[in-house]
Amino acid sequence: MKSIKTAIAIAAAGVLMFNTTRTQAQQTSAADSALLDRVSALEQQVANTKPGEDHLMVAGLTTIGYVTGKSTNTIGGVSTTTRTSTFGNSDTYEFSPMFLWRHSDKFLMEFEPSFNNDGLGVNWADVSYFAAPGLILRAGYMVVPFGIYNKRLAAGWIDKLATDPIGIPGSTDYGFEAMGGFPLGSTKWSYDVGVFNGQQLLPDGELQTAGITDNNINKTFSGRLGFLPFSNSSLEVGVSALTGKVGDEGSVYANTRTNMYAFDLSTVQKLNPFTVNIKAQYNIVNTDRENYLNPSDSTQTYSYNNHSTSGFGIISLRPSYVDDKFWKNVEASFRWADYITPANSAWGSNTTQVTEGVAYWISWRTVVKLTHEAQNGNSTVNQMIAPTTGNTKTDYWFLQFSIQL
Amino acid sequence: MQTLTKKSILGILITGVAILLFISISGCFTSKEVAAKSGAQLWVENCQRCHNTPSPDAFSGEQWKTIGMHMQTRAQLTDVERDKIVAFLSSK
Repeated sequence: MKSIKTAIAIAAAGVLMFNTTRTQAQQTSAADSALLDRVSALEQQVANTKPGEDHLMVAGLTTIGYVTGKSTNTIGGVSTTTRTSTFGNSDTYEFSPMFLWRHSDKFLMEFEPSFNNDGLGVNWADVSYFAAPGLILRAGYMVVPFGIYNKRLAAGWIDKLATDPIGIPGSTDYGFEAMGGFPLGSTKWSYDVGVFNGQQLLPDGELQTAGITDNNINKTFSGRLGFLPFSNSSLEVGVSALTGKVGDEGSVYANTRTNMYAFDLSTVQKLNPFTVNIKAQYNIVNTDRENYLNPSDSTQTYSYNNHSTSGFGIISLRPSYVDDKFWKNVEASFRWADYITPANSAWGSNTTQVTEGVAYWISWRTVVKLTHEAQNGNSTVNQMIAPTTGNTKTDYWFLQFSIQL
Repeated sequence: MQTLTKKSILGILITGVAILLFISISGCFTSKEVAAKSGAQLWVENCQRCHNTPSPDAFSGEQWKTIGMHMQTRAQLTDVERDKIVAFLSSK
């Protein structure tokens, strides 16, 4: 009797174990099936992903800082001093996220809104078509190709000093351009040419460079040709030219033309233990001689040689090849700039700017800069038509942080 | 005036075709030294023309493709330079 009970218990245990194992097997099978379904769905999702449809990214930059200093204006022996201490001005604050959308290997769209103390604006909004090797076509709102500063060096996380050099001509404008680079032996050439709405002549002979208002039906042509003579791309020289009618349509200045020229140089050399970086650009702006409106009496006109020049040179030294982690990220820079506007006009002046500073690179795209800038400007206005602005000396210190987003 | 316009257009077209032809042919004249340059070498030589050499870790491979196109419009890199630099930055 006892053995019968034992046999029944063993049989019952066996049945129970069999059912449990079968249930577990069914559950495992269900799990495997769900996993396979999930893998299949993911495979389908990957297969459905088409290149060029989801390549949106955000880059751009932000710059914050502080400026302190004074400006002293002297007219007829009488001096007036204005002091400044502020966190926000165009040299110390900017937030500019840049949206890049690679639609395909052929199309790239760029849009960079910018907020600074002038308000909210747009730096550029354009579409580029990579048509062929060495040929990129671009249309939209963009930096006009002229010199190297505006297009390549102005960004806060690139510029080694906190300010821009004085008197850099050029603008951002609506238009169309073609550009590219191509090798020739061990040298390299680049070109960047375009047609734009153009600058606008103001009644006193100055040029409005904002480029938002198209004041005539003429178009402005601008371009730069670059040459890199060495195979390691360590030296680049460039020449730029711009020409276009700038007067308002239907006005007496309708045929007034502006011609601009620029010459630039860029070199980076290793001078152990330093990296030496030199950039320079010289600009000439010629606008036709006209009878411009007298700002103090609009019934009268006056004339002058409407010729301006400007230029800058900057040299930077960085001990990139020392082992010390601190010193290899320190970079010292010195920049000289000059800006001469037409003598005997209502806006004539001769200004020299000397800027020096030290930058500490926290990373390749993050920098803290301490910059000192002194500027000395002498008025050369025609005092028969406008009051002189005398001599103006400014002396400012900048502390700036800039990062590429 | 109309003739002048036609001549101007023809001149622009001929100049454009000549430039394209020159660019196409010049690609065949790349020196062996330049053709043999690695992506790493081109990364150092070209990026520092304007800014510090970027860290490969900063962006993903897909993002480097986008940035490569963006930088080509800024610095007028050749297509070969862009492709080699992007390949190098994406591989790290």
